[in-house]
Amino acid sequence: MFKRILVANRGEIALRIFRACREMDVETVGIFSEADRGAEYLKLADEAFCIGPAKATESYLKIDRVISAAEIGNVQAIHPGYGFLAENAHFADVCQSCNIEFVGPTHQAMALLGDKNAARSLAAKADVPTVPGSDGLVNDEGAALKIAHSIGFPVLIKASAGGGGRGMRVALNDLALKSAIQQAQAEAEAAFGCGDIYIEKYVEHPKHVEVQVLADHHGNVVHLWDRDCTMQRRHQKLIEESPATNLPQETREAMCEAAVRLVKAADYTNAGTIEFIVDREGNFYFIELNARIQVEHPVTEMLTGVDLIKSQIRVAAGEPLPFSQEDIKTNGAVIECRINAEDTENGFRPSPGVIEKMIVPGGFGVRFESHVHAGYCVSPHYDSMIGKLLVHQPTREEAISCMLRALGELRIKGIKTTVPLLKKILQHKAFAQGQVDTTLIERTWPS
Amino acid sequence: MAGSSSNQDIFDVRKIRRMVELMKEHDLSEIDLQQGEVRLQLRRDVHIPSPASVPLPQPPPVAAAPVAPAPAEPAAPAAAAASEGAVIKSPIVGTFYAAPDPDSRPYVKVGDHVGGDTTVGIVEAMKVFNEISAEISGKIIAVLVENGEPVEFGQPLFKVDTNQ
Repeated sequence: MFKRILVANRGEIALRIFRACREMDVETVGIFSEADRGAEYLKLADEAFCIGPAKATESYLKIDRVISAAEIGNVQAIHPGYGFLAENAHFADVCQSCNIEFVGPTHQAMALLGDKNAARSLAAKADVPTVPGSDGLVNDEGAALKIAHSIGFPVLIKASAGGGGRGMRVALNDLALKSAIQQAQAEAEAAFGCGDIYIEKYVEHPKHVEVQVLADHHGNVVHLWDRDCTMQRRHQKLIEESPATNLPQETREAMCEAAVRLVKAADYTNAGTIEFIVDREGNFYFIELNARIQVEHPVTEMLTGVDLIKSQIRVAAGEPLPFSQEDIKTNGAVIECRINAEDTENGFRPSPGVIEKMIVPGGFGVRFESHVHAGYCVSPHYDSMIGKLLVHQPTREEAISCMLRALGELRIKGIKTTVPLLKKILQHKAFAQGQVDTTLIERTWPS
Repeated sequence: MAGSSSNQDIFDVRKIRRMVELMKEHDLSEIDLQQGEVRLQLRRDVHIPSPASVPLPQPPPVAAAPVAPAPAEPAAPAAAAASEGAVIKSPIVGTFYAAPDPDSRPYVKVGDHVGGDTTVGIVEAMKVFNEISAEISGKIIAVLVENGEPVEFGQPLFKVDTNQ
């Protein structure tokens, strides 16, 4: 096991990893930007170094500084968390060259799966269903029109280098397709440094279900079942739950088995999440593989009782998975609400500032993951998510009721949060019936 | 800040630096420490025009202190605090080296004048030796880090009196 790990991240995920390491008697080194200097959660690290000014591109994203901090901090491994450098294949490669273990997949697996188009081809080879679409990248208008006509409108134009819900455009007809292609290519070039695009059939009102997997360096791959992340706003997840609602057991099993097949085909190791969309007829299609631990990983932890962060670290340290597929059992129902510092009545614009007062919910089956507290200053430099509230109950109905109760207890004064909106969603009939789709929020509460 | 195992020696440069910071933070004019036969006294001019230069009843055995850093170092922070100089900070994370190589003399020492382009030290990161330029002109009045010490982004390395 490693003696020391550097956590190349901030906020709630850094806190999560510090906690896991403490329990395993692994020392930690934290990094922080000027904006995070003095943050309470950093006190849980054994050492912490300032690596740059507030701007992420000059601190958390600066590979050389992160590696320098790892060197002076004397660590054997780096955990990248999620976001920032977590899916940066070059960073993983640099870690390897510096003899520092990267807690995650190899850079080769990451590069392969980071190319969304290449991932699609791999899925097809592994007998994992993909959304009907172009066989590869689409280079010109003529080819695009041909594909659109064969799979049928509406179509979705996606950036091959994109991900996380970004770099996508819908086209409803020929004319729209022509302009959408040009725009999509330009946007992709600007945002991801690569203008490559491909086309998929646009599945309307899909359910978004993902599968958590863990793979060690000894060839063992297990899935830890599914998470339903359909409740989104503009492709950003708000609520996640498990088990996925209204999903027949055989579909669930088929998806999980497909996920394992893909992971094996890609020689993928450590933690990963395979995202699918499910159409109204119950057909599922592979979208992408997220080569990192995800924000909503605690949902699976509560459902299965498996500590995913510790598992990641153990896998990286070369240990075999201590369980087989048969050992992964699920229990009850889990719901997670992301708490964002956003003003939902003003276009969800970020609401940074000092938290004057804060009361955290508790009780049976309640888990609150957050680095913020009364007196904490939520800075405008980073992601607006300030915490995750999870509940675990024997049934989904009880989980909804518990979440409503917990959200009612959660008090954050001084900044605006998405708590009021979350309460509305949880009380919505469509949510209770599991009849939501990714566009529910925009249709019901436009802003 | 990058912490490592601290020793109890009152002449540890890191401790003395911290004491100087505390003095400024709390507007103290004097700290007087005794450890066995060894005594350390730090004084700082605070608002009062009359110098508090009363000699100590006990001999200040600074020269006898069994520490590697130059005996003059403990006095430097006190003098530095008096003229509130500018600071040269590390622009990167890494290991600080005072000299171009182990056999050479340090780039700068207390009392040296530096210009914007003067190399004042090296911070090594990922096997790359980055020369650190002063970026300001003036006289070095304090060296705040030790040779071989890990430094973080923004960490003060030298105090400079820009009036000289």
